[in-house]
Amino acid sequence: MRDLFAEDRERLKELGPDAMDKAVRNQRRQARRFRERFANNAALMVLSIAAGITVMALAIIILYVLINGAPAIASHFPSFIFTWPHGVNAAGGIWPTIVSTIYVTALAMLIATPIAVLAAVYLAEYAKQGRIVTIIRFAADSLASVPSIVMGLFGLAFFIEAFHIPMSMLSAALALSLLMLPIIMRATEEAIRAVPRYIRWGSYGMGATKWQTVRRVVLPWAMPRIITGLVLAMGRAIGETAVVFYTMGMAINMPVTPLDSGRSMAVHLYMLAVDGINLKSAYGTALILMVVILLLNTLAHAIQRRYRKVR
Amino acid sequence: MTPSVTLRTPDKAPTAVPQQHKKAELTLVSRSTQIKERALSLLFFLCAIVAVLGVVLIFAFVAVRAVPLFKQIGFLNFIAGTKWSVANSQFGVVPFIVGSVVVTAGALAIGAPLAILTALFLSEIAGPRARAVIRPAVELLAGIPSVVYGFFGVTVVAPLVGRMFGGAGFGPLTAWIVLSIMIVPTISMLSEDALDSIPMGIREASFAMGATQWQTIYKVVLPAAKIGIIDATILGMGRAIGETMAVLMIVGNAPQMFAGLTKPIATLTSQIVLGMSYATPGAFQTALFGMAALLFIISMGLVLTVRILSRGKRGTYDA
Amino acid sequence: MPRAQLKRRVLLASLLCMLLLASLILSACSKDTTDVVVSGSTTVEPIAEVAGEDYGKAHPNVSILVSGLGSSAGIEAVGVTKTADIGTSSRELKGSELKLGLKVIPIAHDGIAVVVNPANTVRNLSMSDLRAIFAGKITNWKEVGGPDEPITLVNRDESSGTRDAFTSFVMGDTPFEINAVVLPGTGQVREVIRRTKGAIGYISEGFVKGDVRALSINGITPSAANISSEKYPLSRSLYFLTRADPSPEAQDYINYVLSDAIQEGAVRDAGYLPIKIKSGDK
Repeated sequence: MRDLFAEDRERLKELGPDAMDKAVRNQRRQARRFRERFANNAALMVLSIAAGITVMALAIIILYVLINGAPAIASHFPSFIFTWPHGVNAAGGIWPTIVSTIYVTALAMLIATPIAVLAAVYLAEYAKQGRIVTIIRFAADSLASVPSIVMGLFGLAFFIEAFHIPMSMLSAALALSLLMLPIIMRATEEAIRAVPRYIRWGSYGMGATKWQTVRRVVLPWAMPRIITGLVLAMGRAIGETAVVFYTMGMAINMPVTPLDSGRSMAVHLYMLAVDGINLKSAYGTALILMVVILLLNTLAHAIQRRYRKVR
Repeated sequence: MTPSVTLRTPDKAPTAVPQQHKKAELTLVSRSTQIKERALSLLFFLCAIVAVLGVVLIFAFVAVRAVPLFKQIGFLNFIAGTKWSVANSQFGVVPFIVGSVVVTAGALAIGAPLAILTALFLSEIAGPRARAVIRPAVELLAGIPSVVYGFFGVTVVAPLVGRMFGGAGFGPLTAWIVLSIMIVPTISMLSEDALDSIPMGIREASFAMGATQWQTIYKVVLPAAKIGIIDATILGMGRAIGETMAVLMIVGNAPQMFAGLTKPIATLTSQIVLGMSYATPGAFQTALFGMAALLFIISMGLVLTVRILSRGKRGTYDA
Repeated sequence: MPRAQLKRRVLLASLLCMLLLASLILSACSKDTTDVVVSGSTTVEPIAEVAGEDYGKAHPNVSILVSGLGSSAGIEAVGVTKTADIGTSSRELKGSELKLGLKVIPIAHDGIAVVVNPANTVRNLSMSDLRAIFAGKITNWKEVGGPDEPITLVNRDESSGTRDAFTSFVMGDTPFEINAVVLPGTGQVREVIRRTKGAIGYISEGFVKGDVRALSINGITPSAANISSEKYPLSRSLYFLTRADPSPEAQDYINYVLSDAIQEGAVRDAGYLPIKIKSGDK
């Protein structure tokens, strides 16, 4: 019988005693490299799929609201936006709820912005790191994570029952401002911390006081990022339901003074959705709500992008 | 008022720099300016205290309203009671705690991996173009009002679950699907922050040793960002526990113990809203405030956990 | 420092404040209207409110203030404390309330239909079976002569007037089974019944549409005739109550509520039946 491997053995002898080992090792290395590459590709694929699912979830929700909401608005355009709801099932437009939403959000911004920005100025510029700052930071973090229903009940117990403010734009704005406070605070503090130090030195060097430096140099420099934070906080306030529910009431009303009650878009959507009779208006309201949020997000991005270019 | 006024120079002649005293540097401006500066810094401090005041007031006003109940039925019967029946003045909240835990745990089990993987993709793999699409998408998911999620859940997810598993489609499973999408942005954005804060050099060193991208992520990046990611997950958990309107619309609101993935249950949040709509002042309403106080304590506990974890982190990586 | 800019800002701020103040004063001044206070049953509230809005538009000098506190509170408000001009109730007067000398004006009929999925073969339930189903004693449709299909209970939330009525008509002191799905809206109940095979729930008769089936109870169908004659066991009337001599504005408002505009509009939209049944009704 012919030796099938004679030739190979001959060659091995030529290559020397380690050759067999080397060949095996080489093969193993190649196998391992293949496995690694496979694991790598598989893992990267999983990551991309996860990101894909996230984007898809967003796309599905947006499409769902758009497809159902667009006909509801388009068939009554622009009356869906500019007329009052009427009848038991709130048929017709949603104008007063839009006005109430804008009213309460603007009022909440007016209350929250100065306090939050100044608080952030304190944390970033004035405070010495110590126990008080730790407590303030912890409080801000806690405030940011208080469940909205708890905030709502607090608003009811504090502003309405303890301070006898009627269910109104004012009491809702006060409760909402508490919700927005930590968001604006964090954005502002980060923005201030991102201001380069040499800019401050320049200001101090020219004899400016601390406040002058903060007001004329630091805050203007940080402004784009602060505004981004404000816009995002606004989006949060517009979409908030539970807090508004217990502090503003749910009667449909056109607010004139801050002590008037009203119903925000989010509450309107909630009431229509749980009732389930007038789903058409619910979809329309949801679409308008989403468009507003979308616009605010885009605005925040635009501001941020412009700011990046400037720097 | 004090004799030391001599050290302060008037606004108009700032050039007259006193030399003897080191402190004089601070007093280059007029007295009125200085008082203004003091007053302003006090004002800023007061603004910063508003946050602390807010938290204290929230807890005080919510918890105080719950005290009469504890006097009436006892704290233990509230926190460990398994029966909720308004007609019989039984206010045991265990079914709702179980409901909240089940809903949150499931949402985390689905949402957290999805969010962390998305964050890894954004921070480690995605090119600028993919990032320009995905990151705004994640931010937008965070911006969608929870009532829209709830509406989506009740009109799309619940019927789907009902058709696939029988029953009405309200229950933990539906809540998991909707809530997991809702917490993805929270966890993902915070995880990405943690990943981005890891110095590029660590990754470069790993690649230089011949590691693949996945090996770098798995063996180097993830361990380095571990605490940041855990923090993110805990905060996502807080979001899930505290979520109210969306959950109310999809869990089915049956005040019973967890009975199955497609059987209706109630959570702390959903029960508060349903109860508040008809509770008159009395034991019933105080029970709802007690549940709110409980939620507040849970969310504070989660924030505290994050704080403690992060303190450890600062020691290790900021050096 | 640009003084001009500062000045402009101060001016703007003070202008805003003045505007705010002016609007406050204006709103305080425009109060020379007659108020008609309507309070009581939450079931009647939506009708009274819509009628009040429409009436207020036609009569700018009258404002109708509607609040929902429950029937007993409404009767007390008009009869005892006299804080309301019109009390509303979803039940008849009883006991000492009869001695208050109140005028009782029925404004609508309400029948609560027990609804099931159209695929369900059950057409009729006895009152006791219905109670047993909602108490969780009967859990499968075959126990009441239907298909072998587990029963999915759909209940309303406790703030619902429909649930109140269902409790008093059917349940009495028997507690509801707690594993029922609790939904906070009529439309949702109907939608869930429509798409869930073994489901049973209850909604006002006016909201029953072709996609769900209303059962007859004790052999009596929830038809308009049976509800207005209160032959159907789950039917009731909704009432306005006034003292012996209501103010002309209140009387005018009540007449408006009884007019076709409201009876065929808001009353039907809210799922109730007009007080005067037209011959064309089913």
